[in-house]
Amino acid sequence: MFAAPTLNLWVITPLIILTVWAIILMFIDLFIPAGKKQWTGWLTLVGLIPALALTLMQWGQTGGAFIAEGGQPMVVVDNFATFLNTLYLLTGILAVFISVSYIRDAGLERGEYYFLMLFSIVGMMLMGMANDLILIFLALELLSIPLYILSGFDTGSDTSEESALKYFLLGAFSSAFFLFGIALTYGATGTTSLPVILDTISLDDPLALAALGMLLVGFAFKVGAVPFHMWTPDVYEGAPTSVVAFMSIGAKVAGFAALMRVLGQGFPMWGELWQPAIVVISALTMIVGNFAAVRQQNIKRMLAYSGIANAGYILIGVAASATDPEAISASLYYMLAYLFTNIGAFAVVIAVEKLDGQKGLLVEDYKGLAKRHLLLSLALAYFMFSLVGIPLTGGFTAKFYVFGAGVTAGLYWLVVIGAITSVVSAFYYLRPVLYAFMYEGPAVARVSRGLMFVLVVAVFATLVFGIFPGPWYELASQATFGNVATFVAGG
Amino acid sequence: MALPLIVFSGFLLALIAAVIAHVARRATGWLLALLPLGIFAYLVRLIPAIADGQTVVTEIVWVPSLKVNLTFNLDGLALLMALLVSGIGALILIYTSGYMRDDPGIGRLDAYLLFFMASMLGLVLSDNLFTLFIFWELTSISSYLLIGFKYRYQTSRDAALQALLVTAGGGLAMLAGFVLLSASADSATISTIINDNLFSSSSSMYGAVLILILLGAFAKSAQFPFHFWLPNAMEAPTPVSAYLHSATMVKAGIYLLARFTPILGGTTAWTTIVVSIGGLTMLLGAYLAWQKRDLKRILAYATISVLGTIVLLLGIGTELAVEAAMVFLLAHALYKGALFMVAGSVDKAAGTRNIDGLGGLLAKMPVTFVAALVAGLSMAGLPPLLGFIAKELEYDALLHEAGAYPVLVIVALVAANALVGVAAGLVVIKPFFGRKPMLKRDPHESPLSMWLGPLLLAALGLLFGLMPALVDDTLIVPATVAVTGATELEHLALWHGLTVPMGLSVLTIGLAVVVYLLRNRLQVMTKRTTSGRFGPAHFYEWSLDWMLRSADKLTLFLQNGNLRVYLNVIIGTAVLLVGSVFLFYTLPDMTLNTDINDVSVIAAGLSGMIIVAAISATLFRSRLAAIAVLGVIGYSIAILFLLFGAPDLAMTQFSVETLTVVVIVLVIWKLPYFENLTKRGDRIKDVVIAVAAGLLMTLFVLVITATPLTSQITPDIVADSYLIAKGRNVVNVILVDFRGVDTFGEITVLSVAGIGVFVLSRLRSEKRRRPDDDG
Repeated sequence: MFAAPTLNLWVITPLIILTVWAIILMFIDLFIPAGKKQWTGWLTLVGLIPALALTLMQWGQTGGAFIAEGGQPMVVVDNFATFLNTLYLLTGILAVFISVSYIRDAGLERGEYYFLMLFSIVGMMLMGMANDLILIFLALELLSIPLYILSGFDTGSDTSEESALKYFLLGAFSSAFFLFGIALTYGATGTTSLPVILDTISLDDPLALAALGMLLVGFAFKVGAVPFHMWTPDVYEGAPTSVVAFMSIGAKVAGFAALMRVLGQGFPMWGELWQPAIVVISALTMIVGNFAAVRQQNIKRMLAYSGIANAGYILIGVAASATDPEAISASLYYMLAYLFTNIGAFAVVIAVEKLDGQKGLLVEDYKGLAKRHLLLSLALAYFMFSLVGIPLTGGFTAKFYVFGAGVTAGLYWLVVIGAITSVVSAFYYLRPVLYAFMYEGPAVARVSRGLMFVLVVAVFATLVFGIFPGPWYELASQATFGNVATFVAGG
Repeated sequence: MALPLIVFSGFLLALIAAVIAHVARRATGWLLALLPLGIFAYLVRLIPAIADGQTVVTEIVWVPSLKVNLTFNLDGLALLMALLVSGIGALILIYTSGYMRDDPGIGRLDAYLLFFMASMLGLVLSDNLFTLFIFWELTSISSYLLIGFKYRYQTSRDAALQALLVTAGGGLAMLAGFVLLSASADSATISTIINDNLFSSSSSMYGAVLILILLGAFAKSAQFPFHFWLPNAMEAPTPVSAYLHSATMVKAGIYLLARFTPILGGTTAWTTIVVSIGGLTMLLGAYLAWQKRDLKRILAYATISVLGTIVLLLGIGTELAVEAAMVFLLAHALYKGALFMVAGSVDKAAGTRNIDGLGGLLAKMPVTFVAALVAGLSMAGLPPLLGFIAKELEYDALLHEAGAYPVLVIVALVAANALVGVAAGLVVIKPFFGRKPMLKRDPHESPLSMWLGPLLLAALGLLFGLMPALVDDTLIVPATVAVTGATELEHLALWHGLTVPMGLSVLTIGLAVVVYLLRNRLQVMTKRTTSGRFGPAHFYEWSLDWMLRSADKLTLFLQNGNLRVYLNVIIGTAVLLVGSVFLFYTLPDMTLNTDINDVSVIAAGLSGMIIVAAISATLFRSRLAAIAVLGVIGYSIAILFLLFGAPDLAMTQFSVETLTVVVIVLVIWKLPYFENLTKRGDRIKDVVIAVAAGLLMTLFVLVITATPLTSQITPDIVADSYLIAKGRNVVNVILVDFRGVDTFGEITVLSVAGIGVFVLSRLRSEKRRRPDDDG
């Protein structure tokens, strides 16, 4: 006989908090007069910080929500999800600090900005928690649609509108692939629940393989892997910088979250089949990302290619996880370290950007920055060193872990490509630093208090990850998938 | 805890060096030198214990998961290097205060120098592979900062970047070697790997580890084909050249070779590669050195030659050869450090470093001359200096080798030593003797701070030459023992008697004198060989250039901003990815649905209509017509649904299709006809991709329908939908009951999208109301 499904709402409390607060915030925003909209921004933190606290409290717990009788939970929380949720929420909090002064100065100040951001975070969190392909698709939409809109937030700017349209069209297109993959999976197994797929799928089924390929295309688009990366430079260049800072981390990490869970929990026994595909994509992503970045004059485009290249490095850990599931922790640690370095780099970009007509975005505009803003230039140098992977930065330890994971899994060629492309990357990462310190020029910057906060946090975190990576890596290595049995029993 | 303190005190002092420079002004150098002096004194006190075979070890657990621990280990080899780094460091800091007098940049220069010193001390003291790598890269970075010190000059910036790319790139190769080594040996502690024999040449990793670590060492120590960065690094201020690019940093590669001799050495591969690269570098450096006109460049090429010689000796790897290498390392650091500082003093005094524009400084700068003379004699390898002893030992070591190749090496060695001797003659004789040319300024003797260093280093070369016992058992033997584990070694002596090495020495000096006297005539002959266009430096430039050009092409190819191209790539890749998996893994045993009997006429007609509509959609030049036929496709599919007994699906399809067409028509109303028609070639490409995608889909459908679908859910749901959910329409029940959460989520997504679209349109109309924002 049918019994009501076990809800286990505690699993999704952080999501509920964010959703409810987003709606409340939209009403509060009605009463905040124009010109004081930064209050909406600061109030966003009222939702984000408790959600972060609750997420941290979920560390070490495993559970599933919406468990039908004898079935599998739709949503799960395990250390893997909790680790990533922490990343999104940290990104969100830092993005608020970046955004408040930026969107005011850019004349984009609308309360809905934060509303959309909160919903996008909910989507991101759901990506890593979803235990069912349908729900992953839902999460994908929930995270993407606000981002499409945020990319086009600078209405009237042709580049911003173009970026939003391109992002939307290509995003919708790749979502279709993903959906097709879900349909084929369902055709092959009669289910969309990841653990059940694991139980029922058979290796001889031609459909299942095709399904996996389709799903890969969808994820590869979200993480910006070559050859599905082409939207990134155009979108990063056109979208408001604060949005880029947010989505360059959040959307990418969320894409990886779902990719890792689907491959690791849905198709782990096919490791030898999907590993070659991931290896090829990873190699192409590192090569194309780094080489194309070399000649970029616009720093946002450069960081877009840098983001592509970094997706390639993260993929090394994913590829290695086909034979050694522990390799995932290297990629998780990489994303943690990348979060702070990258948001720091974008904070510098925002400080130098002049909002009257997209100026200050060229690498050359950094000429002479160190003369007037020594500390900001030092921070820029430190973030760039971290992105290159020079020792004593978070970027170095992160690369070290993924390369180590690659070597352990025997993917020597991939690691060699990673090392060579890292050398190439020094070439473009150090250019703004070179211009800032070694040239004369008129570069000026404005560092609002919010930016200052983000810069200090990012430098500090990158330093900590560079010098004491041990405990953080330990956390990443505990961020494993929950046991299927405990989801059901843990009700 | 003394060892970490030695390393990290330098970093701390570097942080506040600029402040000290601000306060102490001219006394800065003397004040800052107290730290390296203190370190030097501390190390000197440890000499007896180390010589006795003890080591000082400190371990601080840092990152256990990375196998990175701060393990410091002071043995004979590390002690020799650390003494050089701290001792010469102190003298360089003092020299800098004179060289940079009244220059506001002195605080920055001193800070970089201290930063380098601390990194270098960390490098030689590290017993952990990965901390060694970190310090190794830190020395590369400090070298980058120091070479680019005069950053206003393009040449300085280029040279700095070149040195960084070459040495740090080599460092990455070395890191890869370290990773393989530590994975294979299951330990990252160098002394443990050596003592417990955790890695041997029989390991399958041996070849890769050897090559990768050698790449790092060769790049750092300017061995062929990486040698070109060192002469360019002479863009740095002279104290930097004296300290980093002759006495210490370029020895890091040699230190690495020596350190890894017990792990990697002794094999045929090791000897062949290291000896040939070292020998080649030795000859190349010596050949180029005496033809240069710039004092610093002469010294730089001579340094390359000497580094090559030491590498060669380590490649031979016998106890005698290693001993000779250690003596040569010490002798070279002393005399080359002194000569570089002399070159800097001459440059300051006379305003030029070109030996053709210099002369007659003897009377003006007597003290500097004495330093130059003594150091130059050591460089030329004349008795009674340490350079002479080093050369004797080299010959001796090779004469003890059996076989044919030592003879070849001896010939090369004699030639190289003779040419380095010529270079020494140029550096000492040209500036100080001869007629006095017209100079921009009136030269005068350097201040105390600038002659103290060279004089002291030169004097030490003399002292150790006269009394080799001072360094023999205290420094050279412990260092050699640390490399080879040998017990019995030849004791250093100035006079071996009338032996073969002695004869070779006489030959070397004779050759040097002949070449020196005939140098102008010889130079005419060699001129053509040195202006080649195919050196490794050209390869460096060519590869940088190639990288930039290919990056341009790649970007243009991949990122032309055209959405249609992006879509093509996405579809093409997806078809390739899925299709190839499909073909390779499943084609052989897949069954296709070939049964066409139960296809009704109406269904066939509808399918034909869909095909015709799809083709015509690509042909219409009017957007409106294209959308209309797309609508036809949608409706035909809906009717197909209806035919196969899915009325609610058909209804949904109808409404969605209608809405879509209406919306698109509203949007597109304002757009003109398609005007930018694609070229023929593009269209063929599009057709190929479209057909491939279509074929793949067809294949899918045929495969899917070949096997009857067994759903695990349908029977349950059909049974439960009326009993539990009280609904007769199964699809509706699924949507609102069984998968109600999904639907709820979907509604959320839609509302978010709706709000977003509303915001965008509001923002747009607000902007339009403000006319000043237009355009």
